[in-house]
Amino acid sequence: MGNLLALVQNETLKVWKKKRFAVIVLILLILIPVFVYAQMKIAQTNEEQFKGDWRANLQDRISDNTRALSSDRIPEEWKQWRRALVQQLQYYLDHDVNPQTPNAVTFTKQFIDNAVNLFIPLMVLAIASDLVSSERSTGTIKMLLTRPVRRWRILLSKLLTLSLYVSLIIVTTIALCYLISGVIFGYSGWDAPVFVGFQVNGAEVDTANVHAVTQGVYLLMQAGLVWFAAMVVAIIGLMVSVLVRSTAASFVTMMATIIAGTILSAMASSWTNAKYIFNVNLELSSYLRGTPPPIEGMTLGFSLAVLGIWGIGALFVSFFVFTRQDILN
Amino acid sequence: MKSSIWLWRVLGLTTLACLIALAVGFGWALKDTWFPEDGLAIPETEDGAAATGGAWADKPELFVASLGDSLTYGVGDPTGRGYVKRVTDRLGDVLNKPVTLVNNLAVNGAQMKHLIEKFNETGFKYAIAKADLILFTIGGNDLFQLAQDGGSIIEGGDLSPELLKDRLPEVTPRLEQVFAKLRELNAGARIVYVGLYNPFYDLAEMRSGSGIVAEWNAKAYELAQADGNATVVPTYDLFETNVTKYLSQDHFHPNAEGYDRIAERIMQALN
Repeated sequence: MGNLLALVQNETLKVWKKKRFAVIVLILLILIPVFVYAQMKIAQTNEEQFKGDWRANLQDRISDNTRALSSDRIPEEWKQWRRALVQQLQYYLDHDVNPQTPNAVTFTKQFIDNAVNLFIPLMVLAIASDLVSSERSTGTIKMLLTRPVRRWRILLSKLLTLSLYVSLIIVTTIALCYLISGVIFGYSGWDAPVFVGFQVNGAEVDTANVHAVTQGVYLLMQAGLVWFAAMVVAIIGLMVSVLVRSTAASFVTMMATIIAGTILSAMASSWTNAKYIFNVNLELSSYLRGTPPPIEGMTLGFSLAVLGIWGIGALFVSFFVFTRQDILN
Repeated sequence: MKSSIWLWRVLGLTTLACLIALAVGFGWALKDTWFPEDGLAIPETEDGAAATGGAWADKPELFVASLGDSLTYGVGDPTGRGYVKRVTDRLGDVLNKPVTLVNNLAVNGAQMKHLIEKFNETGFKYAIAKADLILFTIGGNDLFQLAQDGGSIIEGGDLSPELLKDRLPEVTPRLEQVFAKLRELNAGARIVYVGLYNPFYDLAEMRSGSGIVAEWNAKAYELAQADGNATVVPTYDLFETNVTKYLSQDHFHPNAEGYDRIAERIMQALN
């Protein structure tokens, strides 16, 4: 056990000293202000148009989406999405709750929702894709494997390090989002109510289980779900990193897969078997939010199962290959 | 080496704390989804909007709500402003105070039965209650449907003014309901009903439809007069000469110029 801890320490420091995490923080520091600025502009336009009357603003969104429903040019899947949205917004209006109180917590919540598909996987892969293949490309893998340490322990220590960094990345993203957007929107909003538990069945939204939680709790749950999805991406990235020699190749492979996933979820509603692919299931927080899933019939349990199976499969392949493969030049 | 150990201690503990927090969040999300509890109580609030009323001159700001069908939404107007935006803008200029459109609640293709249903929605009640001025159009789709002798136009169905004349009494009571409901939701607002016109005036066989439209508008005016603070703005005469100049490509909705003239009429009625 002490042995393993020492290995994790070694791996953690190695990743830290490569300044991978510093790069991620830098990217966040540049990107978040850009989005904060954009959001501020939107808020200003709304303020001008609705004079701070959120009920009128909400009703306008409902009316807009209702009108779109009557158009024949809009595909049926989009209509379903809008129908669900209208019913949800109506629920908020009926209970006199503002779904978009302008504050840092709301901004963070929205940022994370939008980041889960591409941005968070990108940051996670910046570390995961490098973990094994960089040892190969620099040749240090020979040093590592000639030590009197079992190979599976080395890979396990890398996996544990990866989980630590994935957690750190997500918490850092949330913290930076909150801190930066708070300058503009104010640091309140932790106890604002959010409705969860909308169940989307085709075109109907079942509100039987809907209940309110505070925005703080919502953010915690959302972060937990995003973390699970990010872990699966990281583990699959680790597998590719074991299989592919170069860091660049492994990173590009994974990013291509992730991007394909977002495209698939946007258009796969007619190809229902796509729901068994991991990259269509990454947006776990949409179940919390209650937006219709990309393919009908997907639920939180289903997506967790699909992601879990892919993760376990990737782990199996990683350990199997890593403990057996010959290291050639 | 010493700094390495400290770095590891800080890094290790921080990341471990993050991991635990996220795992807790994950567990919480599963629990909340599969075994939901009652959750937060949302305080009951009284209705947000107070019905206004009173003289416009005394108010620092005026609110407008508009509802009805595609005419109120502004279909056919390439600028997207319709008569509603034109009226709110001009009213602001004339009265020299901010005039805000609370909501344009119009739904394309709406008939009176749809509108009556909508009156039960929170957002409708709110916007209507808040308004000092309510602009609306309704009934055009009702009449259009009544005039169809089964089958749609595309399928070769035809519009028949005679049929419309016979069936008109079926729908007039609904207009009464609309006026009553509006007044129930807002006791003090000025209500403006934009009257119907016959978009097919230039077709000889459809010209007799104008008589029925006039009958409809008369009914609306009767209701407005009974209300006391409502009025009907006539538009039928605007679309008789040079129809194509004021109607859009679909030969049904006004174009920008058409809406401009309707807005002008409403302004005249208001001031």
